[in-house]
Amino acid sequence: MSGGSARSLGKGSAPPGPVPEGLIRVYSMRFCPFAKRTLLVLKAKGIGHEVININLKNKPEWFFKKNPFGLVPVLENSQGQVIYESAITCEYLDEAYPGKKLLPDDPYEKACQKMVFELFSKVPPLLLSFLRRQNKEDCSGVKEELHKEFSKLEEVLTNKKTTFFGGSSLSMIDYLIWPWFEWLIALELNECVDHTPNLKLWMEAMMKDPAVSSLFIDPKAFRGFLDLYLQNNLEACDYGL
Amino acid sequence: MTDDATRTLGKGSAPPGPVPEGLIRLYSMRFCPFAHRTRLVLRAKGIRYTPVQKEFCKTSSCKGHLDLEGRATLLECGRLDGASSKPRHEVININLRNKPEWYFTKHPFGQIPVLENSKGQLIYESVIACEYLDDAYPGRKLYPYDSYERARQKMLLELFCKVPHLTKECLVTLRCGRGCADLKLALRQEFCNLEEILGYQNTIFFGGDCISMIDYLFWPWFERLDVYGIADCVNHTPALRLWIAAMKQDPTVCALLIDKNIFLGFLNLYFQNNPDAFDYGLSC
Repeated sequence: MSGGSARSLGKGSAPPGPVPEGLIRVYSMRFCPFAKRTLLVLKAKGIGHEVININLKNKPEWFFKKNPFGLVPVLENSQGQVIYESAITCEYLDEAYPGKKLLPDDPYEKACQKMVFELFSKVPPLLLSFLRRQNKEDCSGVKEELHKEFSKLEEVLTNKKTTFFGGSSLSMIDYLIWPWFEWLIALELNECVDHTPNLKLWMEAMMKDPAVSSLFIDPKAFRGFLDLYLQNNLEACDYGL
Repeated sequence: MTDDATRTLGKGSAPPGPVPEGLIRLYSMRFCPFAHRTRLVLRAKGIRYTPVQKEFCKTSSCKGHLDLEGRATLLECGRLDGASSKPRHEVININLRNKPEWYFTKHPFGQIPVLENSKGQLIYESVIACEYLDDAYPGRKLYPYDSYERARQKMLLELFCKVPHLTKECLVTLRCGRGCADLKLALRQEFCNLEEILGYQNTIFFGGDCISMIDYLFWPWFERLDVYGIADCVNHTPALRLWIAAMKQDPTVCALLIDKNIFLGFLNLYFQNNPDAFDYGLSC
């Protein structure tokens, strides 16, 4: 049992024991897009894992010993080694575990994926900013900025002439940027990609991926979570449980 | 004088030709700390510097190039002369205050460093460029082989991420004649975090007992502490001072150390908004 739907641990909770051999543990939160990256890679590579959800609005003291930044995702293996920062966790899993390689072997192709990742980097804070303002002040400025960022990604797909960001099949970079586009679908904001047709096609192709579809966010639970989260409600992380 | 002591190219300059086989080109600037990372890695990997080839050999059958002294250094088929088939690099310095129009075809925002190989492939972002070189070139690996140790080095890089901005802010503030006590305090805090890592690991270098990628990625900012006027920021971090001393013993670091007076000369002109700043200290 992966425990991905388990209640989160908060302040005052007992620290979990060591990770059993043969498994890797991921400290996560059901709606965190950064942690989603790691969960997607774990799924795509078929890696046996257990999930401990953290209440990000009420963090357990012991969690800062796992990651001094106090953020999810964090990986912990049975040797007690800890890895944090979502992109680093994903790359670690790809290197340390057998099976299909998500990052290309070719140094230039690998570098290209990392350059696209940099290109994407303004989207997470922008999207969050957009969602914060949705029902309040005018968010057209943020929306325009978001469109600009999406256009950059559109240009990559147009130039490459492939369905996915790494080529004709799905690879690491697609999983790394996916969680924010999943949000757009869950919140019915697909119009944000109306002017970027290749990006729209990419989203449709992603939805067909087994890892993506099996981990697809529940739109109702997500909306419930988001409302509570934006109000800094301590119960947000466990919405729907 | 370091390898890359060549005049910058600015607006109106002719775009350089394609990169010859066997070479990789670095678009750089002699005083830029981000480009410095890439120059350190090129050197550490044994990808030796070669001056930019200016002319093609006049013989119709030869596809070789001539160096600045008129000697053919590349044979036909783009292979390097003599027994040396070792990879080499060339450097083109860019005038960052007066960027050549063609440079925006190398980087969308005209930033450095950028690598360009003989296939015309472009790689930018200093960390990505350094990793590319480590992956693409044989010999000594600067990143560890072990996946966890590799991840550790990348996590350390995150720990370092505020340092470039803070050191730059200190420099700018001091140069504008203002005090930067708050900034220095913030910088000292970042250095304390790094000190803690060295203490916990009980190793000289950030990757262990030998120098490795992470040390080269950090180094450029520590080399600049003195010339920026903030060397006292490591007063309370003895392990970091030991690391600095050990780094200065490294042959790669040593070979690329920037002369203090030349750096100061550059900084003076830079803060006067003089576009010739980037060529300060060049003899020709």
